[in-house]
Parts: sequence; C-alpha cells; structure tokens
Amino acid sequence: MRDFDLLQPKTLTAALDALAPNDPATRPLAGGTDMIVDIRSGRAAPTALVSLQEVAELRGIKRENGTLQIGAATTLAEFLTHPDLAHQALYQAAYNFANPMVRNLATIAGNINSASPAGDMLPPLLVLDAQIELVSKSGTRLVALDQFLLGPRKTVRRADEVIASIRIPALRPQSPVSTGFYKLGLRQADAISIISVAVRLERDGDTIRDVRIALGAVAPRPIRATGAEAVLRGQPFSENALKESARIAAQECAPIDDLRASANYRRRMIQVYVRRMLEQTWNKTL
Amino acid sequence: MQPKSITVYLNHEPREWRVHPNDLLLNVLREHEALTGTKYGCGIGECGACTVHIDGEPVLSCLTLAIACEDKSILTIEGLARDGKLDAVQTAFLDHSAFQCGFCTSDMILMTRALLNEIPNPTEEQVRDYLRGNLCRCTGYASIVRAALGAATQEANAIGAADA
Repeated sequence: MRDFDLLQPKTLTAALDALAPNDPATRPLAGGTDMIVDIRSGRAAPTALVSLQEVAELRGIKRENGTLQIGAATTLAEFLTHPDLAHQALYQAAYNFANPMVRNLATIAGNINSASPAGDMLPPLLVLDAQIELVSKSGTRLVALDQFLLGPRKTVRRADEVIASIRIPALRPQSPVSTGFYKLGLRQADAISIISVAVRLERDGDTIRDVRIALGAVAPRPIRATGAEAVLRGQPFSENALKESARIAAQECAPIDDLRASANYRRRMIQVYVRRMLEQTWNKTL
Repeated sequence: MQPKSITVYLNHEPREWRVHPNDLLLNVLREHEALTGTKYGCGIGECGACTVHIDGEPVLSCLTLAIACEDKSILTIEGLARDGKLDAVQTAFLDHSAFQCGFCTSDMILMTRALLNEIPNPTEEQVRDYLRGNLCRCTGYASIVRAALGAATQEANAIGAADA
C-alpha cells in the first residue's frame, strides 16, 4: 500500500488542528472500510490521514430536546443493538449492511461521507430528515443530508471539516408513524444495492397524513421522490394511489446500466418496491 | 513515513511491534509473526478470510491498520486452543468434517466462536445469518452450519454437566 502519514489525535480539537490547513490530501479516517480499499486501489491518494478512532467526543448516542444525536463514530453494529436507534428503516439498512465484520469497523459518518449513490444508510436518513453536524476550527454548521450530498462521492464537506454527529429531529408526529427500508441486492451479504427504497409514513385514520420516500442506487446520489410523495400526502389510502405514487417514483429516478443491473430493470424494481414499502409501512401503523 | 513502536496482546501474549502507518494488520500477522492461519482472500472486505478478533469482536485484518491495534487484544486462529486443548468450536469442525480445502476454516471457526460468545444457543437461521459474510468457495456450508450448531450443543452440555 502506498505510503502516508498517520495522526492519531485523542481530542476533537487536536483532530481539527490537524485538518486546519484545509488540504484535500489530508483526509479524516474513521473505520477505514472504504478508505483502505480506496488507497489500495489508487482511487484515494492521501498524503496524511487523521484517525478519528480515539476521539471520544465523536462517540455515543444521546437524546436532547427530542433530537436524536448520533455520534459520528457510531459503528453500524451499534445500530443493531442500541435501543434509541429503534427506527425500523435504520435497523433494516444496518442489518443488510456488508457483513458482521465490516459492521464492527464501519461508522455512520464514514458511510455518509463516502456519499456512494448506493450508500445503504442514506435513504433511511433522508426520510428521517437527518442533519449533518460539521465542525472545523472556524465553527460548526448543520446541513440537511439532502443538501450535504452533491453527487457520487461528492459532498459539501470542506477538507478542514469533520462530521461530528448526525441529528435526527423529532418530527412530532400527530398520528402513528412507521418507517421501512428495502435493499435489493444480488445476494444476502456484501451486496451493493441494485436499488433501495426507504419510506416514512404517518397515518391518520384512513388517510396518509404525511409520507417521505427516498431511493438509492438510481441517481448520482440517493434522492427523495418528492413527486411520488406529493400525490399521497393528505390523500385517503387506496391501492390505486399507491400504484400511481410508485409509477411517479420510477419516472423521478435516473438509473444507469452497469454490471449489476440495467437501467430499465432498476426503474421497474423501483416501481415494485416503492409500492410494497408503502403498503408495508401503512399496515404497520394499524 | 515514521514507524511507531506499539504493544499489542497477540494470542494472550504481549508483543512489541514496530509498524509503519500503512502496514495492514493482515500483513504483520502473516509476514512478521508468521501466523499464516489468517488468510489473504479478496483484500477488499468481501470474503471474510482474514477475520481475527480484536478486543473480542470479529473484524477484517485486511481493512485494519496494524498501528491502530496499539494496546489491543488480537486473537487469531493460532491462539484459540489453550494449553494444548482445542476450543469446542475447533473440535466440532473436526467432528463434522466442516472443511474441504481449508482456506475459510480459520475465519469460519473464529466467526462461530464470536457468535457463540454472543448467542450461546443460536438457531440455524442465526448461524447462517452470522456467517453470511464468510465465503466458502468449496460451498461446504451445510457441514459448517452443522458444526456450529454442534459446538453450541456441546458447550451447553458441558455447562449442564458442570452445574450438576
């Protein structure tokens, strides 16, 4: 593997000092499950890595004024055991993430920062209105995940910033809410999504009070299917309404042909799984 | 860049390593410690062949920097047997002939050990679920799953006998 310098700060201040020159060749390192592969393949060529593994401030999960604050260094394995991370969509995404060994290393901030179009945790975080807390020596800013993601492996994070936490706001539902996530892969483990779908649905009697739909692996970055949401919001539940929403979702996405699947197949599967996930989340709110 | 001297606890013994930032744990184990039971399979975290335990958790040594293991406990397949006595999982793999070419045996045994530490009495579904990131290219999964379930039963019986 090519040579690089490694810094192992013990505090967030020291980590931010190391990144302060804002040099794109100095990269933060979390679990390393993407970064090490990228360095070995030549896709990344950092001259220095700033390991965040020993920075205590980036650990832990807490609830403050209803907002769930997930420390950047929270591993995917922790998403399967922590009682506060009980959103079904997050659990399902973590459950299908890579394999148990990778889940013990990989962090939530790493998955977000990698900004893969197929990033497993991104659709669930999009439907939960997640915000990304970015910190640097010059201050802190909160950016909605929807604004954070720019394109394949492109985000608004500057080289001198680290992701400190992920905030999931309390959405103060007036009615029963349910979330769900489905990943269509070629196998049960280590699969890169062909497509993925996350849904958050709030139900009021026979009406869909609110709904959010996010799609993975069918655009340069995971996207919200806002048109598909709009036709359902405030409408009475019906099979036809779900079908119409799924049809619009398939039009809203922009999939490509690659070695995993054709664009056409992806579009068809978006239509199938958006409908199924809407039905599933609706039924769960009963 | 600059090498660093670190202490690790490798298979229950303290060891001093002088490692560079870009030394992978897998390579240090195989080339420096001559512990070749840990295998280099895919090198990108998708096959499980390089699985070791760090502080009791199964992780991939091909994605782990050796320098990040400072003061940590590393368990490889060579450290599983204690005082010349095989671990119950190793015995079960022998009893069930749960290997063909043997390339995945180290990782399958270490994953089964981690599973039984977490869930002492797993269902077949839980075994298959836990081992799903570990590939056996001989496709000998049936006997591996039987061995894992057999090891669980054997350990439960041993605890029962000790309690009696």
